[in-house]
Amino acid sequence: MEDYRKYLDPQVLARLEGLPLRARRIVEGYVSGLHRSPFRGFSIEFAEHREYTPGDDLRYLDWKVFGRTDKYYLKQFEEETNLICHLVLDSSESMTYRSDRAAMSKLDYARSAAAALAYLVLRQQDSVGLAVFDDSVRALVRSSSNPSHLEQVCGAMIQAATNRKTATGTVFHELAERMKKRAIVAIFSDLFDSAEHALAGLKHFRHRRHDVVLFHVLDPAELEFPFEGTTRFRGLEGAAAMVVEPRGLRQAYLTEFGRFRRRLREGCRGRGIDYVLLRTDKPLDVALTGFLTARR
Amino acid sequence: MPFPIWIPLAFGLSTPAMLWWLAAAAVPIAIHLLSRRRYRDLPWAAMEYLLAAMRRSRRRLQIEQLLLLVVRTLIVVLLVLAMAEPFLERDRLVAAAPRGARTHRVLVLDGSVSMDYRAAETSRFAEARELARQIVAASPQGDGFTLVLMSTPPRVVVGTPALQPAEFLAAIDEIVMPHAPADPAGTFARVEDLLQEARRQQPALTREVVYVLTDLGRSTWLPEEAAALRESDFSDRVARLASRSELVVVDLGEEGAENASVIDLAVTDPYVTVGASVSIEAQLKLFGRQTRRDQTVELRVDGRRVAGRQLDLPPGVAVAVTFDHRFDAPGDRIVEVRLEGDRLPLDDVRRMVVAVKPAVRVLCIDGRPSGESFAGAADYLAVALAPEDGRPGGVVEVDLVPESALAEIDLAGYDALFLAEVAQFTSGEAQRLAAFVHNGGGLVFFLGERVLAERYNRELGGERPNGVRLLPARIGGVVRRDDVQPGPAAWLDPMEYEHPVVAVFRGREEAGLLTTPVRRHLRLEVPPDSAAQVALATAAGEPLLVTESVGRGRVALVATSADPSWTAMPLWPSYVPVVQELLAYVVAGQAERQNVRVGEPLEGSLPLQGIDANVLLRPPLGATEPLRPRDEDGRAAFSYGETYFAGVYTVEAGPPLDRVDRFAAQLDPAESDLARITPEALRGEVFGGAPVTYLTHWEQPSVAEEGTRPRRGSLAKGLLYGVLALLLAETLLAWRFGHYGT
Repeated sequence: MEDYRKYLDPQVLARLEGLPLRARRIVEGYVSGLHRSPFRGFSIEFAEHREYTPGDDLRYLDWKVFGRTDKYYLKQFEEETNLICHLVLDSSESMTYRSDRAAMSKLDYARSAAAALAYLVLRQQDSVGLAVFDDSVRALVRSSSNPSHLEQVCGAMIQAATNRKTATGTVFHELAERMKKRAIVAIFSDLFDSAEHALAGLKHFRHRRHDVVLFHVLDPAELEFPFEGTTRFRGLEGAAAMVVEPRGLRQAYLTEFGRFRRRLREGCRGRGIDYVLLRTDKPLDVALTGFLTARR
Repeated sequence: MPFPIWIPLAFGLSTPAMLWWLAAAAVPIAIHLLSRRRYRDLPWAAMEYLLAAMRRSRRRLQIEQLLLLVVRTLIVVLLVLAMAEPFLERDRLVAAAPRGARTHRVLVLDGSVSMDYRAAETSRFAEARELARQIVAASPQGDGFTLVLMSTPPRVVVGTPALQPAEFLAAIDEIVMPHAPADPAGTFARVEDLLQEARRQQPALTREVVYVLTDLGRSTWLPEEAAALRESDFSDRVARLASRSELVVVDLGEEGAENASVIDLAVTDPYVTVGASVSIEAQLKLFGRQTRRDQTVELRVDGRRVAGRQLDLPPGVAVAVTFDHRFDAPGDRIVEVRLEGDRLPLDDVRRMVVAVKPAVRVLCIDGRPSGESFAGAADYLAVALAPEDGRPGGVVEVDLVPESALAEIDLAGYDALFLAEVAQFTSGEAQRLAAFVHNGGGLVFFLGERVLAERYNRELGGERPNGVRLLPARIGGVVRRDDVQPGPAAWLDPMEYEHPVVAVFRGREEAGLLTTPVRRHLRLEVPPDSAAQVALATAAGEPLLVTESVGRGRVALVATSADPSWTAMPLWPSYVPVVQELLAYVVAGQAERQNVRVGEPLEGSLPLQGIDANVLLRPPLGATEPLRPRDEDGRAAFSYGETYFAGVYTVEAGPPLDRVDRFAAQLDPAESDLARITPEALRGEVFGGAPVTYLTHWEQPSVAEEGTRPRRGSLAKGLLYGVLALLLAETLLAWRFGHYGT
């Protein structure tokens, strides 16, 4: 059997042309080993009972069985095609950043991850939709379960322009209003916006009872600030340039950035949102595994 | 022995040229500025957090950068300073010169007597000399040195700036403290001349420092009687000097110094003859605050102690001590009065030369000799001069000769010359008389009928061009007093008995001086601005006896005759005392000739053979010097001006003369007063406010400190340690701040 895992390495993926191909490589390299979909529907056909183990969702506890047997059983359902996954991709200018340590820009990495997810969902005959945004929604692809839909989704991701600022708050509110049916909303963004705005938007998704997963895409340089020597940082998204001595500033930057991430992470946890950090220098499977395993 | 000077530290550099490298201190700053211009350019997405970090850390970063910059600059500065070999001077005497400047250092040593004061083992003058050596030793190579002794007259020891310290140090070693008063005005004038000369000859010596090493004696800087410094342009001169040169006064004196001194020594008798008892009077004075008890004072003659006494010396009062002594042999005898030694030993002894004669020899010249007894003009006079002639104990020997002998007789053998009614003098005779008087001889003129007043005035009164002036008054016409009624109008006026010749008659009116009948006399006209003194006059105010000092001798002019032709005085009881007093008065000049103040010239004469003789002068200090006598009126005259030391000067004439003359030079008693002026007075009253650096700090080092304490400390090692520490600190700080880059 061909070792697909190598295709999960961003270095390798970066060399692959075309998002659908990348998506297939990612999924087949890793996810195809799964016998069950990691996405479980909410109101689909009953499949079997399973004994309760602490931590299981109490919503699926079968009270009737409990009434009869005094034992806790969970109802398990077979997957259905009515699962919808909305991919929300940030294509603002800040997402184009790529440091020397990463093989792909954050945007490319996010596209790969999103495409992989889309492929995975479509392979399970579920629906995938797409929204690309920066300071407003730039592209919108309606959800569909047609396998050929992957091409359309990937095409829309690639064509999205990348020269605007991020405005997560307003965009998330707008999207939350548009998404009528309950769905899984997977957001790929660096969220270089006010954390409060972003969290407010995310809260709106939750309010609409969407299952929200935030893929926080960050470059390793943004996480570690490894620069040496006098450097002029030219701000993306129209920010001013600044000449600094990075070593002297590292601690302060890491503190500031850590505070931002902590705010986001805690905000997500408080709102029942999955927070997944995607480092662009890490193999995609590591990030996805963490997420998929958690959701199984 | 390192000298005990403790003066605030001063900084200097051995290799000041290295300081050019200080420019390298700009390198870290330049690198810092350049590094801000050379940078990588990176796009950056998370700008918001970078900006926030920047806002939070800007101040800290700036401080860190500044700190690092300072440390790095300091490393360069300290390294360069270390290479310039800095040192700390214990004294500010040799203050660091500006880069590359060579200095002309003029050392002025106070040579006044008070500099001989010994607070410890060494005198202030020795301290000054040691200090001078140290100034030389501490000065950088290339400096020039001039040495001037502040004395009277000022002595330039090294005039042209000496560039070789060794030569100059040798000159310092050879310098001997003189005993003359100091002459600041004259000294500073010389210093100014020397500086001007040096500026022309050695223009490379761009900086000038004048060191005055003095004890700030009041008698030197603010003499009370003369006020010479205040009246002269001294302060102007100092201001001029200070405008171009740095003036450093080092105070070597201390407050409260006390001193006892023999301030005067004299023989009170008019002349000293063998076997006669004479009184020797010394004046002692204590300059201080507390009475000194039981001070021993002794009299020595030719070095042998002949008498001693103990007495108390109250402060500030002159105490007279009188010794009676008989000299047993003729000749120049050295009389010395000696006090118990104190811290200023120089003035504890005072010496004088006393010429002890077998007898006082008087030459009496008769202008109207007669074969008959008491018929000549000088017969009465000769008797009055030596009333005891021929008898034992007679101290005056009179040679009575006629006028004609005046041209040939050797006057040098006589102490006094009495001329009675000599009609006139040739100019040659006048010259001889003048030489006699200038050498200390006494000269007395009695006038009379035969006297040609015009010739007197012409030959002896200075009325001939380049002629001799011996007469204390101009001689006019005859004044007849025959018709004056007896009574007060006929009496004589003793002029308050102020003159020494008549002072003996004070309170002794019965001795008959006032009632002496004078029938006739020649009018004496005393010039208004003359120093002549009238001892006796008529009631009408006509002077009868006028005296004046001429050279070292004295001249008396008596307006009337020495015999009874014009006056009854020779028959009067006052005659002998008057003549004796006249003799005593006119011969006193001889003692003055042999006893001078330090600094005054010695003058004497030998018989004419002395011209060819080997004549040597032995000063009290220093080497014997040959003298070159010159022919002056048939005598071999000599003079010697360099009487810098107190003590006995001996003039030895070899064959064919084989004779010894002695002189004594005595200290100026004003020099014994150790009173000082304050530095403020020096600055203000003396220097007129000119900028002066005043240094005082003197301290006797303990034995332990001596030798272990280098006078000059190198700082290079310490600076290098500093560089090392800074390098470590820089590494540490850079690591801590995370700035490896700049």
